[in-house]
Amino acid sequence: MNLALAEFSRLAARRFVLLMTMLLVAAFGVTAATTVAGSHEPTTAEWERAEQEVRFAEARIEQLRQDCERRQVSPTFCDAYVEREPRIEDYLFGVFVFSQEITDLVYFMIAFLALFAFLVAASFVGAELTSGGMTNLLLWRPQRVTVLGTKLGTVLAAVLALSAVASVLYIGAFYAIAEVTGVPGDLDGEFWRDLVLSVTRGLGLVLFAAAIGFGAATLGRHTAAALGLIATYAIVWEVGARIVFEVVELGRPDQYMLTSYIGAWMAGEVSFYDRFACTDSFGSLCQSQYEVTWVHAGAVFAILLAAIVGGAFATFRHRDLA
Amino acid sequence: MVWPMTAVIQIEGLRKTFRTFRGGARVALNGFDMTVEAGQVHGFLGPNGSGKTTTLRTLLGLVRADDGHMSILGQRAPEALPAVAPRVGAIVESPQFFGNFTGRRTLQLLARAGGVPAERVDAVLAQVGLRDRAGERVKAYSLGMKQRLAVASALLKQPELLILDEPANGLDPAGIREMRDLMRELSAAGITVLVSSHILAEIQLICDHVTIISRGQRVATGPVAAVLSGFDKGEYRVRVGDLDRAAGVLTTAGLPVTRNDDHLVVADVADSAWISEQLGQRGMWVTELTPITPDLESVFLQLTAAAPGPSVPRQVDDVVQPGPIDLGVQP
Ligand SMILES: Nc1ncnc2c1ncn2[C@@H]1O[C@H](COP(=O)(O)OP(=O)(O)OP(=O)(O)O)[C@@H](O)[C@H]1O
Ligand SMILES: [Mg+2]
Repeated sequence: MNLALAEFSRLAARRFVLLMTMLLVAAFGVTAATTVAGSHEPTTAEWERAEQEVRFAEARIEQLRQDCERRQVSPTFCDAYVEREPRIEDYLFGVFVFSQEITDLVYFMIAFLALFAFLVAASFVGAELTSGGMTNLLLWRPQRVTVLGTKLGTVLAAVLALSAVASVLYIGAFYAIAEVTGVPGDLDGEFWRDLVLSVTRGLGLVLFAAAIGFGAATLGRHTAAALGLIATYAIVWEVGARIVFEVVELGRPDQYMLTSYIGAWMAGEVSFYDRFACTDSFGSLCQSQYEVTWVHAGAVFAILLAAIVGGAFATFRHRDLA
Repeated sequence: MVWPMTAVIQIEGLRKTFRTFRGGARVALNGFDMTVEAGQVHGFLGPNGSGKTTTLRTLLGLVRADDGHMSILGQRAPEALPAVAPRVGAIVESPQFFGNFTGRRTLQLLARAGGVPAERVDAVLAQVGLRDRAGERVKAYSLGMKQRLAVASALLKQPELLILDEPANGLDPAGIREMRDLMRELSAAGITVLVSSHILAEIQLICDHVTIISRGQRVATGPVAAVLSGFDKGEYRVRVGDLDRAAGVLTTAGLPVTRNDDHLVVADVADSAWISEQLGQRGMWVTELTPITPDLESVFLQLTAAAPGPSVPRQVDDVVQPGPIDLGVQP
């Protein structure tokens, strides 16, 4: 516990962490500011026009349903067939609608937080390894796994706490913007459940990024090792290998890409197109899509964590320290 | 190694080869032995790259040995290090501290991580002369101040054994003297000190025992006086008016004589009065007749053969490959 407190002071005192936090705040600030600038409270005229549009749409949908039911088939089919209920927000333009836009905004926030977590965790251990601070600590506590584990635990806890607070403030800020200069939209229980789920998954992704950054920097004994790993992965695999897969006409290149799993993790499920799935069958019944779900993503993340973080701990136990 | 150990530090047959990615290998320790008994102030000497720091790192669990046995405070190292660490204070080769913390904060965090009462922090800061600068950031410290902070960190635990790798590095003359006094104080308080240094005069002043290492092997060990006397060749420096004639006389008498610019060095002298008598009888009046007692520096240079040549700069590894030198002083 004392070790963790000491580590936390060390983390909090890092200039880099301060700088990154400021950048994070700035990025969120800019997003909020552009949202405010691009939104206005709908005028009475706009409301009236939108309400009218909704009524038209409702009438049109009702017509469709009746047509559908007249041509028999089951009512459930007709429910699925007609469009969803029209909402007033769909007909307000230049107005920030919280219920519609917050999910994308949360994704954006999670991307920033994940980048932040990755860099902070990598630099936290990388700087200590290169500066000899780790050596110093090990003279005091000659228990390598404990020392490294405490460091990882501290940075994960700190990143999680910061991300949780940031999420609440961020979502709160956009809700306030909607209240003041936009419309909150349809905020039922399901909406909030989905939002909480998205944020929770996002925090998981943030922790994953932190752990990978930490592990890669430990393995490579340097902060730059983590950056190198990401850059190399992005260029060699996400871009290079994708091109190669294209050339060799591999059917499902997306299932080898980490980005697919990140997407699936956040969205719960993503569909990809398998270009060879239906080449030798007779069309319509053949399913040329395949799904990657958050369960798959979780498994992939677990394997990567085991390899990189597990590898970091395994090598750190026996390594010669300068 | 016989258990249980009584020595505070016991190292036997320690071997370490550093390997590089490209397949290169550098033998840092080649069967090194060392014994430090309780209460000693033990000097650890050796040329650059001879393996001092590697020895200390290995002993403290930062580097894995390829072979050999080590014990520290009677317990196996590195296995028992977590148990003995609270009783060992160590600095290894100019430790780095986090620059954004003040000196005091640095020590407070270490004290916390090691379960040392917070009151010790100000006590050790005063002890190393940093009391008035303790509130400044470490990055604003001078080299010597950082070194003092390092020593303070080693003293924080009130250790029974203090291991200091080049503690005088970067210290000013007053600092070196303070370090000397500090070590004497600690030694008087019953603390065992192992100190590596290149300042041989300093070691000779502080230490009662030494171990000399060259190319990863021990070349001498024992009480300082015993190591020095092993190199006492009974030499005298002789100054007279006519050096050539005097050299002739002494050579005829069967003594090995070396002619220098303004004096002679005569070896194997049993009785110095005999020299002045012999030369006086021939009308040569001796103006200086002093015994040349070996100091640690000359012994060190001889043992490690690290004396610079006439004009070629000596390279770091141009030192003696230790053979079985027996000084009769090994324990
Ligand atoms: N991490 C390392 N990788 C490769 N070689 C190393 C490493 N550390 C030390 N060495 C080599 O091991 C040998 C012993 O080095 P060491 O640092 O123990 O010497 P030293 O006696 O402390 O020297 P100095 O008086 O200069 O401090 C040297 O030849 C050095 O180059
Ligand atoms: Mg050294």
